[in-house]
Formats: sequence, C-alpha cells, structure tokens
Amino acid sequence: MQTATLPTPVTQPRSAPPEPVGTGVRSFSLTINGAEYELNVAPWTTLLDALREYLDLTGTKKGCDHGQCGACTVLVDGKRINSCLTLAVMHEDHQITTIEGLADAQTGDLHPVQQAFIDHDAFQCGYCTPGQICSAVGMINEGRVKTDADIRELMSGNICRCGAYPHIVDAIRDVMQLNPTAQ
Amino acid sequence: MITYPFQYKRAGSISEAVALLAEGGKALSGGHSLIPSMKLRLNAPDALVDVGRIAELKGIRLDGNELVIGAGSTHGDIASSGLVQQHVPMFAEGAGHIGDPAVRNRGTIGGSLAHADPSADWPAMVLAADATIVVEGPSGSRSIKATDFFTSMFETALAADELITEVRVPVENGARMTYQKFSQPASRYAIVGCAVVKSADGKVRVAFSGVSDTPFRDTAVEEQLNSGQSATSVASGVSVMSDHYASEEYRRHLANVFLKRALNAVA
Amino acid sequence: MHNQVIGKPISRVDGRAKVTGKAKYAAEFTAPDLLHGVVVSSTITKGRITHIDTGDALALDGVVKVFTHQNRPKLAWFDMSYKDLDAPPGSPFRPLHNDRIKYNGQPVALVVAETFEQARYAASLVKIEYAQEPHETDLQHHLDTARKPASGLASLLKPPPPKARGNFDKAFTEAPVQLSTGYVHGFEHHNPMELFSSTVVYGKDGKLTIYDKTQGAPNSQFYVSQVFNIPFRDVRVVSPYVGGGFGSGLRPQYQLFLAVMAARELKQSVRVSLTRQQMFTFGHRPATVQHIDLGAQPDGTLDALRHAATAETSRFEDYIEVVVNWSGALYKAPNAQFDYNVVPLDQYTPLDMRAPGGVTGMSAIECAMDELSYKLGMDPLELRLKNYTEEDPNEKRPFSSKQLRACYQQAAERFGWTKRSPEPRSMREGHTLIGWGMATGVWDANQLPARAEAVLTVNGKLRVSSATADIGTGTYTIMTQIAADTLGLPLEDVLFRLGDTDMPLAPFQGGSLTAGTVGSAVKIVCEDLGKELLKLARKMPNSPFAKAKFDDVFFVEKQMRLKADPSVRIDLQTLVDQNGGRAIRTTATSMTNSLKQGKYTRYAHSAVFVEVQVDEDLGTVKVTRAVTAVAAGRILNPKTARSQIIGGMVWGISKALEEETVMDHRYGRFMNHNLAEYHVPVCADIHELDVLFVEEHDDVVNPLGVKGVGEIGIVGMPAAIANAIFHATGKRVHELPITLDKLM
Repeated sequence: MQTATLPTPVTQPRSAPPEPVGTGVRSFSLTINGAEYELNVAPWTTLLDALREYLDLTGTKKGCDHGQCGACTVLVDGKRINSCLTLAVMHEDHQITTIEGLADAQTGDLHPVQQAFIDHDAFQCGYCTPGQICSAVGMINEGRVKTDADIRELMSGNICRCGAYPHIVDAIRDVMQLNPTAQ
Repeated sequence: MITYPFQYKRAGSISEAVALLAEGGKALSGGHSLIPSMKLRLNAPDALVDVGRIAELKGIRLDGNELVIGAGSTHGDIASSGLVQQHVPMFAEGAGHIGDPAVRNRGTIGGSLAHADPSADWPAMVLAADATIVVEGPSGSRSIKATDFFTSMFETALAADELITEVRVPVENGARMTYQKFSQPASRYAIVGCAVVKSADGKVRVAFSGVSDTPFRDTAVEEQLNSGQSATSVASGVSVMSDHYASEEYRRHLANVFLKRALNAVA
Repeated sequence: MHNQVIGKPISRVDGRAKVTGKAKYAAEFTAPDLLHGVVVSSTITKGRITHIDTGDALALDGVVKVFTHQNRPKLAWFDMSYKDLDAPPGSPFRPLHNDRIKYNGQPVALVVAETFEQARYAASLVKIEYAQEPHETDLQHHLDTARKPASGLASLLKPPPPKARGNFDKAFTEAPVQLSTGYVHGFEHHNPMELFSSTVVYGKDGKLTIYDKTQGAPNSQFYVSQVFNIPFRDVRVVSPYVGGGFGSGLRPQYQLFLAVMAARELKQSVRVSLTRQQMFTFGHRPATVQHIDLGAQPDGTLDALRHAATAETSRFEDYIEVVVNWSGALYKAPNAQFDYNVVPLDQYTPLDMRAPGGVTGMSAIECAMDELSYKLGMDPLELRLKNYTEEDPNEKRPFSSKQLRACYQQAAERFGWTKRSPEPRSMREGHTLIGWGMATGVWDANQLPARAEAVLTVNGKLRVSSATADIGTGTYTIMTQIAADTLGLPLEDVLFRLGDTDMPLAPFQGGSLTAGTVGSAVKIVCEDLGKELLKLARKMPNSPFAKAKFDDVFFVEKQMRLKADPSVRIDLQTLVDQNGGRAIRTTATSMTNSLKQGKYTRYAHSAVFVEVQVDEDLGTVKVTRAVTAVAAGRILNPKTARSQIIGGMVWGISKALEEETVMDHRYGRFMNHNLAEYHVPVCADIHELDVLFVEEHDDVVNPLGVKGVGEIGIVGMPAAIANAIFHATGKRVHELPITLDKLM
C-alpha cells in the first residue's frame, strides 16, 4: 500500500520565471492541504497552472481550461470551485484543498469518498476522478443532497468521458448512506 | 491560461476600487464571466481590480420594502439565502440553476450583470423583478433601473470607471414569481429564460433572457396579459437569435412554451 | 489454471493511484529546465502561408525559439518514414513540412519558452499571413466524387465489404415488402478528458525519454525513430496512465512530433500540450451517409439486403472503416449487396473512434430493421429472431460462439419487453411520450500476437510486464488477475506494469483486443515461468516432482501441487530459493492460431432495450432506462467489464442524442470546438443502465476465451434509442444525433 503524504512545500518555482513584460511577478503564499507554499508567479497564472506547473501538485487536472469540464475542481474554504477560472493570486489567505490533501496524511487512510470510488469502480481512465471526488466532497459539505436525482444534478459540472456516472452516483450515495429509492 | 499580461490590483474598499478603476482596467469579482472571456481574448483589459475581498459588496439584507443584494454575492449565496427565498423566491430558484455548483460558488450577481451576456439568467430576473442596479463611480453613486441597464449584446449603462455595488429588489407582498429556463445542454446558459412576476393585483411583468441579443421586458405580452387577452405576441418587435442549438423559429416556440410554463407556475 | 480471482469483481489495482492524484499522465512528468511549447494553429482551411512574423514573439523575455516550416530541421524525406503503425494508405500529414495548409487548425508554428505563460502569450503574437484557396469540406455536397478507398496494411483488421451474394436486384424487385431508407451522421471528436501532451526528456547523451499520451507506446517509439532517424534504443516512450483514448491515441498526434523536434534542436527537455480547442484538430469519427434496401416476405423473412456507405476522408490518406459488413453477417438474406466508398475532403484524416464503423453500420441496419418491422406489423424482436443465423452468411462459416439469442431473451425479459404496446405514440404520461426500442450489437473478437515478461523475484513476488496500455479499460487489473491465477499467487504478490517501450512489445490498445491479446501473452509467460519452476522442483534431491510434466501440476496458494495428489506440494518461495539467489525470468510471445481461428467468424454480440421519454412541447429526449445483455466470451472481471459496457452505453446515448462537431462549411472550421458547445453527457443525463453478461464459452478466440468489451457496449445503443424515439413519437429521424429541433 502506498502512503499518502503531503507534498513537501517548495519555496521556489522549479525554474524562476523571468520578469514578465509590463507587470510584476508577485510573491505570495498559498495554503494548500494545510501547508504553506511560497509562489513567485505572474498575476495571470491561474490557480490550476500554479498547482500543476509550479507546485508539482498534478493531481488537479486540466481538461478544458475554460470551466467547462470540472477536471480542475478543488476546494477553497470547503467550497468546490474550478481552479482554471480563478487566478492564484486571488487565493491568498484561503484554505485550498486538492485531491492530494483528502487522504489522512498520517495514516494514509483514504477519504470515504475516495474509498467509495474504488469500491464502486466509479472511474475508468482516472483523469476526471480528482475533480469528481473534490466535487463530491464539496457537494456533501453543501448539505443539500437527499436523492439520487440531487446527486446527478449537483454533480453535473464534472464531465466523465468514460461514462462512469452510474457508479459515481452509487459511490456518493453509499458515502452519504442515502436510500437508493428515495425520490 | 490567460494569454497575455495584465496588472493585478486589489481593492480593499469600494472607494479604493473606484479609484483604481479610474486608472483603467476592469473589476474582477468571482471572475467567472471575465476570466473565460479573457482566455478567449474577447476581453483584454490592461489591469484587473480585484473587488472580491471588499466586505461592503457582500451580504443580503432587507432595507424597508427592498431586498438589497450585495454585488459580490455569489449565485450560491443568493440561492441559499433565507431572505431571498422568502422575499424574492425567483432569485433563489434562478440562481440555483446557473451553470453548475462550482460556477455558483464563485460567480457573482454583480459580475454577471456587468458582463451582460444575453444568455445569462440574471438579466431576465432583474428585469421582471423591476430591480434597481446601484453603481458607484468617481462622481458618487447612482441608481439605474434594470430596464435601462441592458443596452445591447454585452453592453450596459455601466460606465468603464463605475462599479456595481448592489442590486435593490422591491419586495411585493402577495406577489408570485418564477424563473423558467431551457438550458443549452452543455453550458447550461439559457437558450430561453423567462421570468414572470405576478403582483397581488394580478398584473404581470414578463422578461426574457437568451431570446434576443439584449435581454428585454416583453411589454407587448404584458399588455395582452394584463388586459385579459392571451399572449400571442411573444418577442414581437425584437430580433430573435438563431444558432446551432435553436433556430429563430424554435426559439420563438420555446419562448411561448416557457412563458406558458411560467404563467402556470404563478397562477 | 485454478481460478481464484479470474471472474471475480476485483477492484482496480490502480484505483488508489487514481483517487489520490498520484497517477501521473503525460503532461505531469517533469525534467530540469523543462521548456514549454505552445502550438499555433492555422486559421484557414486550404492554401499557403505567405508570410510569418515571429519578431514580436521572439522579443519577449523567456522565448527560446519559434519553429515554423521555414526553420524546422531537415527530417526524413520519404512518406514511408511518417507512417505510424496505424497509418491508413496515403501520405501522412507532416507538421511544419512546408507552406501548404491542408486543413483548418493545422499546426503552423511551435513557440518554445521557459514558462508556459510566456509560450502561450508569445504564441498569440505570431503573425501569419495566408493565401487562401477554395476548400471542400461538406460530404453531402461532394457525394459525386465518392470512390473506392485504397487498400493497405490497415485492411488486415478491416476487411473490405463482403462479396455480393445471390441476385439482389431481382430479389428486391420481387419482394412483397420493400424498404429503402437512409441514415446520416456528422463529425464526432473523441475528446478524452486528458489533453494530448508529450513531455520529452532530453538525456545527457541525446537519448530521449518521452512521456506521451498514446494508446500504444511502441507506436510512438516507432514513429519518432523513423521520422527523426534515431535508433529504437535511444527513444523510450513511457505512458503508464492515459486519460482516456477512445481511439484518439491510436496514432501519434502532432504534439509528439513537435516536442521531439524542439527537444532535439534545443538539446533540452520540452513539453507540448494541446488545448481543448486543438483537440478538434486531428482525427475524428468520419461523417457518413448510408443507404439500406431491404426486401422481405410478409412473415418477415429477408430475401434482399443492400447496405451502402459513403464516408469522408482527408486529401492525403484513405481512412476506412468496416461499416456495411455487419449487416451481412447478422442477417442471412440470401441476396445481398454491399458497397463502401470514400470522399476526400479538405480536412484531417478521420481516426478510429470507439467501435469505429461498427456503431456506424449497426446504427443504420438496426434502424432499418425497425422500420421494416413497422411496415410488416411485426414485433421488432420477432423480426430479428426470424432472420437469426447460426452461420456467418458473408463468409459461409460458423461463429466461434454466438449467444445472441440468449442476449435477446435475457435482456427482453429484464426489460419487460412483452408489456410493450406496439403502436407508436401509444404510451404517454401527461405531455411526456414514452417509447420502447431495441437493437442488436456486434463487434469483432480479434487477437494479435503480443509479448510479455514475467519475473519471480527472490522474495516470491511476481512482476509481469508488457508494453500495452490501460486507457481506463482495466488492463492493469485483469492482467494482474490472470498472472495471479496462472501461478496461484494472491493479487497483492503480483505487480503488472505496462506502457513502456523498455517492456516486451504489445499492440496498441484498441478494437477490444487487449484482454485476449495481452491476456494470452501474460498467461503463456506465466505458464513458462511455471515450467521453469517445475524444472527447479525436478532437480531437487528426492523430488516428488521428479517425473512430473507441466500438465501434471497446478499452482495455488503460493504453491505448486501435483494434480494426482495435491498433498504433494512445494512453496514457490522454496523453488525460487533453489535458483542461486537469482530471480526467475521468462519472456514469451503469444501467437494467434490463425489456422483454427480462420475457420470461424469471431464476434461479441449484444442486445439492447431502451426506454425514452420525449417532452412533447420541447422535443427533449431522456433515456430513462436501458438494458444491455452482452455475450463476449469469458468475463475476466465483472466489475471492470460492467464499467466498460456502461461507458459504452453512455457513449451510445451521446451519439444518439448529443454529440456532433458542427462545421461551418463556408470556413471549413468546426464551430463548437469546446466542451461548452460540444455536448457530451453529464451525470444528470444518465439514468438507469443495466448490464447482463450472458454465459458464453469460446475456445477459438484465444486461450482465455475472452472477446473484449471495450466497444460492444456502444454498438447497439444509438439504434435502440432512435427506435424508441420512433415508438414514442411516430417520427423517424434519419440523422444522428437526434437533437430536439429534429423532433419538433
């Protein structure tokens, strides 16, 4: 079994980008999965690119870069958002949770949604999966789901091209202990 | 990924935001209209003024017989607000169907109104609710009636150096209201969005999003309905959009169907 | 083989990596001083580049180089070098070859910079001027130029249309019941969730390690080696995880070429990722026009069948699909005629997309059969059973196995088909019309040769590898199961690895053939390892296995045992310990038994029953429930197999109702090249999907008796949905997808 550990915070981007034209690289920090990360990036760097290109947190996926597919879903202060539609610099002082931060860092125990996704085979290629799982965790936090139909509607911002939807619904229903026949 | 450089400035207050906007650039709230349009280079401001942290723009409250929604309220805030559900339930209903949950967690009413996408949901709702949009500029604040706000596709009465601060919605006792939309199946933008408010005296106000390049109050239909006739003239006198998802003819058909459904809902 | 885990619903062995974000895809590997490349795409459809101005781009800080056709390095000259292992006949597209523009969105420049942000910005500053020429992109307007496709190596797995049988014209003319009908569908793009990317790591010695999004690492290696004239040993392609393929990764895409070119020229590591918009600038499912004529007796017996299809291809390659053959194999009409033609147009070459040709042809014949059933006043299922055949009429040979009849029966029963009211528009709830429809699915069960390696480590752990892929199909899991059962080891003692050209060669993952192909190699290599273990056992002093042959032993619970007396047993660990402190290693090739297989037609089958609800006011269609019964030989893992079938059914719903790439033929450009406008199903679109696996034994298809389940789930769905929509509305839509405007 692999152990989920928090990534080591980095203090510098892997290769420091030169000063962009006419603007300034900004230095700021982001709190991701409970750890502080120092960033020096241009202000037009999206949160998604900051995670993937500068912090090596590649669990968050890029599927469209236009807020249309949900693969980049992360949790900001517990709420699910598309990290491609927001600038990294807008999230100083926020608590950001990515797929890498859901399992218990000490024990390696998976988050119940992660475990349910495995148990119900709620993915195939796995590329949309981090976004689906973060979205499901965010949805459960929202506390509005009562039925399968609610799950289907409220999970519709996350495309799964492999078509694992019935199993995604099964997994989430299982975690929420909903009655499958509830209307 | 945004394809070009710009400056990022953060405003701590409305006055600071107005001062920064005076130097040029656009206000950035949730970024869910602006950032996609910048990625597509439909918008290319030199600077962004982040108004997302301004406390004065947040919050929903009652002020006399008006519900006041801070421009920085997200669609999700509005959908789940008890005050909105109680006093302007159409806004909660409509906000709950904008985009998807991740969009509703970031996108704001102020940002959506300023962007004025003809297929967005807020325009029809604020028009039918007869809301007022309050904006702050270098020379102070002014109020713009929703009916005067949308001027054409992506164009509004908002000046470049002004910031939307709040939306004031009259609370009408005994009014019934609904927002019914037919979504583009992938993006969930409104192919047709129909907002209807029926006052206690039975008079209705009808507004459409998605139908024409500018959202509009359908005054011809209102006159028909308010004089006891049936609505035969939906979207008359406006040019109806036609695209891959819905031809002009099909859009007109949908406008009729959704008006009927909306009227049934407030009957 | 003692089945302990084969046939069991084992959870994916790669599941933990995927749910924790640790599974790394092509763009997620990195290297010191990695450069980023961004592609500039042509904005015209046909013509020439007259001028390129890269000055503004190059002036930016961090921009390293802008590659165009004017400054690209000299590369292989002959077309042959650009033919990847899945290339159709023709002259493959060469990125940055010259000033010619062959299709809209063609890559015309690569901007390389130190950061992704710099490259993206610089790419927007490259100015290109073109001289435009008139283009032709509309299949329907150029049907008069249809011609026979050229044939080539690709025809091995894609046979030409069957020979005509009997006298179609006479039989059709004389048939008491006649149907002439046609069907059309437009372009579709695979749109896997992962964007095509290649991360090329430039080694100190100039050797390349390439993390590529591909369905076949060996194909990418072959292509790079040929085009850039690099020995195989200096190109390693690695692809452990693939974020969906659906056929799009069968051929190397242009980002691979560009990233390798840049890395070699700059002697530095380079990553090139495409944008979602650029995911619409290579292969696609071809738009196809089909015509079907059926002549029948009043009792439903088919006398005459004609199926003709015309599909688009590019100007430079003749892409072909098997579209019309399925009709002839499924129904025994004694008089039949088949035809397949292509129309070259100014666009990129089409590319296999989930059940290529199969879902196309079956969507047509199964709708035509439905139309005929109404003409005859006969139940659609009855009509299928009336014309059921136990022999392949195309080839006049038996099927290796065919449990289609059981599929029909079991799916019909689960669905409740007998409760159907036959008249169209006869079932409704308020303003919702309800319709029930059914259709058949067929897909190939092919096997190709493959190689695998097995190593039993000194610790008694089994390591098996093959350069195959897992694009979400479950390859990691089923190969682990096969290896575990062959050598009697628990799953946790087996590690299967794939997607690396340092591993033994395997074909690309496509055509539902991996389970049978690589599965056979894994079985054989593990058996070979077992033989080595037996040799060691025989050499032991006073060995009870001294005279045992391989057939006399079996493997279970980490032991080798004698079949004749299972109490005679030895731990595999003990055997490894006899090997002088070395691991035991075997490599094997599974060959196909062509002599035996050639006597049979080998197909997987399915029967699909669907319920739709149609909103009468809006024309919106909801597939409220669907049942698919599948006969695909042995099911290695019902959990992952069910996911494959469900995924196929979701694709079927998408093809029937949602997805289509719409081209503005005035510009030759796709209009909806993003996921907000290219509609694929989301969670809310998918309701009750039910899968039944019908028991089927097949000892011809391959040593495991598996047929593969990657495509069979989609094949019958679109027709079943279209047929249900007709039943609901009385309206026959002849064009997929059936969007609401077509129903109003």
